[in-house]
Amino acid sequence: MQPVERLINLVALLLNTPRPLTFEDIRERMPEAYAQEDVNSAKRMFERDKDLLRDHGIPLKVEPTDAWEAEDGYIILPDEYYLPEITFTPEEISALFVAAHTPAEDSAAEEGVRKLLYGADGGILTGLVGGPLATGPDVSGSRLSGVADAIAGQERIRFEYRTARGVVSERHVDPYGLVWRGGHWYVVGTDIDQSEIRSFRLSRFSSDAVAAGEAGRPPEGFRATEHVQAGPWGLGPPATVARVAFSPEVAWWAMSGVPDAEVVRTREDGWVETSFPTTSEEALASWILGLGQDAEVLDPQSLRDELVAQLEDVVAEL
Amino acid sequence: MPSSEGGRPRPAKTAERLRRMLIFVPYLVQHAGTKLSEVARLFDVNEDELTADLNLLFLSGLPPYGPGDLIDVDIEDGRVWIRMADYFARPVRLTRNEARDLYLRAVALAGAPGLAEAPALSGALRKLADALGPDALGPLAERVEAAGSSPAGTMLEAVRRAVADHRRVEIEYHAISSGEITVRRIDPEEVFLAIGNWYVAAWDDRSDQERLFRVDRIRRVTPTRGRFEPRGLAGAGRPLYTPTGEDVEVRLVLHPGARWVAEYYETTSEVDLPDGTLEIVLPAKRLEWVARLMLRLAGEARIVGPEVLKDRVRELVSRTLERYLLTSPDEPSDA
Repeated sequence: MQPVERLINLVALLLNTPRPLTFEDIRERMPEAYAQEDVNSAKRMFERDKDLLRDHGIPLKVEPTDAWEAEDGYIILPDEYYLPEITFTPEEISALFVAAHTPAEDSAAEEGVRKLLYGADGGILTGLVGGPLATGPDVSGSRLSGVADAIAGQERIRFEYRTARGVVSERHVDPYGLVWRGGHWYVVGTDIDQSEIRSFRLSRFSSDAVAAGEAGRPPEGFRATEHVQAGPWGLGPPATVARVAFSPEVAWWAMSGVPDAEVVRTREDGWVETSFPTTSEEALASWILGLGQDAEVLDPQSLRDELVAQLEDVVAEL
Repeated sequence: MPSSEGGRPRPAKTAERLRRMLIFVPYLVQHAGTKLSEVARLFDVNEDELTADLNLLFLSGLPPYGPGDLIDVDIEDGRVWIRMADYFARPVRLTRNEARDLYLRAVALAGAPGLAEAPALSGALRKLADALGPDALGPLAERVEAAGSSPAGTMLEAVRRAVADHRRVEIEYHAISSGEITVRRIDPEEVFLAIGNWYVAAWDDRSDQERLFRVDRIRRVTPTRGRFEPRGLAGAGRPLYTPTGEDVEVRLVLHPGARWVAEYYETTSEVDLPDGTLEIVLPAKRLEWVARLMLRLAGEARIVGPEVLKDRVRELVSRTLERYLLTSPDEPSDA
């Protein structure tokens, strides 16, 4: 008998039994599986099978076989084994399938989504209109999993961190949440040494996150996204409505990238005047400068003055 | 069935087979008559392995393993039916790792710019959180989210379709490096997400080599009649810049506020200087984009070399300043 066949039969048996079965019960019902003459070697094989099933997420339980608790038996409780019913629309399951897919190797996410397929309508693959997508190491990885587990387990973490400005130090953080922004994961939590809530980009960790004891709870009403610094059109109330003109070469691209941008008018020379809200004039100035002579801020005047000053700085520093 | 007990069982392979069977069997119980080829694709197993698994399943069931106790497997004309396995009609729950990784990936993709599946993913995330609940996800469902709005309206979907169809397409591309708009024919092979942007790895007809294109810089996609044989091009996890023989070595000193440049662009050298600045070497085929970058860094970076880059920056600054110094904002130059 092949080991896989024995294991499948064991799962079927323990899933169908109304009461816990002792090893002797199991051996009697599956005589070909644990057929060794020596009971101890049969038992050892069963123990290995049991461990393997548990390692792979099968909730095999040990429970007393009767009220006197004289003897222990084994059972898989249907409520603990079976995936709860979830009905996804074909679009939802296809989207999950695309999200979980990793080109290089099999991932836990992919294994998870395969379990969810059972309830979906057939023809899932034909529903994949968009075609496959790939993601790099910034989307997933063991560092992310470790931090997520610390959040779930309410554990304090310790790690080496290099700030955007290049300062390296060891941090102790009670992690409360994870935020995905602009292609990076950030962990948000209380920096113990600073006694304040900060965000840390995972790609700036220079060590793994190590468990460092129990963490405190997040404050009432905590929202992780409120603590992640944003660019020119990040979160929070827009501070300014900016009026910016773009050259014909970059206008289409700028308009597709800026949320809530409106076209005010298109000039005869093809330049497009737009207006849009921004949450940070400083971040906007930097973005506009990077477009060189293809963009001009029209309003507010303070931002115009700032840009001129910065351009003069650039030349002075050369 | 010959016994395999003679040879040492290989536990890793056994476990992998078992896990796979406990997942695809429920699918087949629910979807009678599914094609072997479709099962193979959905569950990423080759058809021979799948057939071997099904033959094994045929011998499994419940004690006393009489004809009425065994799982019934039929394979006919490349399609599969599984009966007498009601207890395998639903799969085992997701492990915590599976639930966590799937949830995190789905949040990230839903927050990526302009993805057509984003609304469906958000719906799926809510259902996952409700159904898997505290058992599998713990507090993660409430503690993980994407921030920032993701502008739509790019050519992402058109490019993905071309990748799926192996369709050669003509694109109008706005190159960041030169600021030029070019029309070129490409064979797109892999769409991937890197530092918050979508890229496509493609064969570029114009330069006759593999190139990476940023999808949001593609202004137009026109399918051609041509199809292509994939060359196995892939971009995920790879450096976004491939050095060329014509690269100029740009040497910059970055003040703390400009250090992100070393994280964002490929460098060939990074040296921490005693005063807290960072000296880097950026390989660049064109200097236009580096000049724009210098404007953006506005005083937070110093050019060590080449000298010609300083000239480019001076030119770019004076052309940009013209807009501000020669016109008042409401009297545009064309008026």
